[in-house]
Amino acid sequence: MAEAAGALRPVAIQNRIPARLRTRRRFGLGARVSFVLFALLVLYGPLILLAVFSFNRSEIISLPWSGFTTTYYHEALGNPDLRNSILNSTIVALIVAPLCVVIGTLMAFALTRFRFRSRGVMGGLVGAPLILPWLVIGIAALLFYAQIQRTFHVLQLSLRTVVATQVICTFPLVTAIVSAQLLRFERSQEEAAIDLGASRFQVFRYVIMPHITPAIAASAIFAFTWSFNNFEISYFTGGFQLLFPVWAYGTLRNAPNLPIINAISTIISAVQVILIVLAWWILRRRGGGAKAILGALSAEAEPTVTALTGAE
Amino acid sequence: MASTAERSALDVVGVPPRARRPRRRRFGHWRYLAIPTALLVVFFLAPMVLMVRMSLLRYPPSTFGGYSFVHYANVLTEPVYRRVAVTTFIIATSAQLLMLAVGIPLAYIMAFRAGRWELPLLLLLVLADELNPIVKIYAWRMLLGHDGILNWVLLRLHLVSEPVTWLLFGRFSVIITLATGWITYTTIPIYAAMKAIDPSLFDVADDLGAGWWTKARRILVPLAAPGIFIAMILVYIPMFTDFVTNNLVGGTNSYMLGNSVNDLILSTNNWGDGSALNFILLVLSVGLSLLAYRLARLHRIDV
Repeated sequence: MAEAAGALRPVAIQNRIPARLRTRRRFGLGARVSFVLFALLVLYGPLILLAVFSFNRSEIISLPWSGFTTTYYHEALGNPDLRNSILNSTIVALIVAPLCVVIGTLMAFALTRFRFRSRGVMGGLVGAPLILPWLVIGIAALLFYAQIQRTFHVLQLSLRTVVATQVICTFPLVTAIVSAQLLRFERSQEEAAIDLGASRFQVFRYVIMPHITPAIAASAIFAFTWSFNNFEISYFTGGFQLLFPVWAYGTLRNAPNLPIINAISTIISAVQVILIVLAWWILRRRGGGAKAILGALSAEAEPTVTALTGAE
Repeated sequence: MASTAERSALDVVGVPPRARRPRRRRFGHWRYLAIPTALLVVFFLAPMVLMVRMSLLRYPPSTFGGYSFVHYANVLTEPVYRRVAVTTFIIATSAQLLMLAVGIPLAYIMAFRAGRWELPLLLLLVLADELNPIVKIYAWRMLLGHDGILNWVLLRLHLVSEPVTWLLFGRFSVIITLATGWITYTTIPIYAAMKAIDPSLFDVADDLGAGWWTKARRILVPLAAPGIFIAMILVYIPMFTDFVTNNLVGGTNSYMLGNSVNDLILSTNNWGDGSALNFILLVLSVGLSLLAYRLARLHRIDV
């Protein structure tokens, strides 16, 4: 049998593969490129059109093109509600992101550096806000704050309640990203540093920090955008405070398509694109390399799984 | 043996004995855990417990009527909710299948065929996710509307004689918007699972004369299965509770469970039924996650 296979194989390779590979490769490349372009068109096409139409003079967002204008940008930036909502969202995100980084990193250290009995439970607890939909969390938070208000006559729905609930929803993401990176870290390096007489602080500063900085930076950016974009939590726990997604939702709910929404969406998307691309570029240049970023990104996408519970 | 050698070396260097090994403390982990756990208990667990309590009170939020399962009975027997659940299932499943149909080939191309375009493509996918979801929904509404751009183009090309109305404010627009909104979370876990596949497997399959369909069915999908299940945790469950998409681009035939919860709590102030339905969604989410997680672990490749 073995002899027969050995005798047959070279013949088969000579006869079939080169020709087949050539034709398939050429066809395959075209098919792949057009598939990817199609996917990107569906993803980004509407957003690009949205940006293009923010410059259209017509009040109705449709063709034909009726001339170039930047009026809607002036109008958008002059709208007090809109300005207020963007300010609020930025403030909330600027508070939420650093808090999440600190709290999430603490949790990541606890889960990856210690073996303790409640570790599985803790992993589940920190993973739960990532698994549960924000609607479920938002509604529960709304009931909770309302109950506190009724019982103790303190606490109104405000930016503070938004921050509290957003921190809960967002810091597990940081935990997932940072612990994925910590798990990839050789403990022996740290022990070597201790053996060589490094203090606890020195170990942290010179051994651990350089290793997890890319993951922390990536998680800070994600925490910021998650907070800024978060509609459900802002909507249920924000009370009368307008945040940008809530403003956009409310306006679109009660009105037809408006050019000023195109204008403001274009500005915000442009800022987000610049921030993310910049962050990507910096992370790639600053050590860690593409591998670390990839790890961080897949950690974002598979939060509890490999990072927390699967780490046994 | 090693430890004595190590010790003598350390004595020579003059390292104080305390610094040699991290001290093992029994409750050391609580220094790290205390703050995150306290926050989770107060702002996450307590609201969940309160929600369950609300769903069990007869006249929430007052405690006068005592406790009962009447709200669960309401929600589970009311035919309206059954219809809404069926609609939700149809919409979420169609969107999920659509995403898998695009996400699996896309992940395959990124993992094996993209070459130097791999990271840029990944960046583009992540970027699409980090843009504001309301803005993304609005972009589709602008495109698909009665006076929208797509209809204008179709009319101009004489493909239709009057504007197509089923494009917007119905299931079609909700499915398209959901599918494009969640595609990142479908594709990246599948991509991550595929990265673990040894590419030489495909060469072997080629040598054995397998066509692309056989390779996809026998190698790619089974080995990418953990990623597919994780994608389902991350995408399928949130889609069940979505209400924003439907409120902005949907219509009466795309009213979903998330809309029911939202309307019960915010519009009709029916906290009992709302909490009960919300809790059912929670149980559903946890159940589906555990199932998908188990399946993902079963399919994990242990090398």
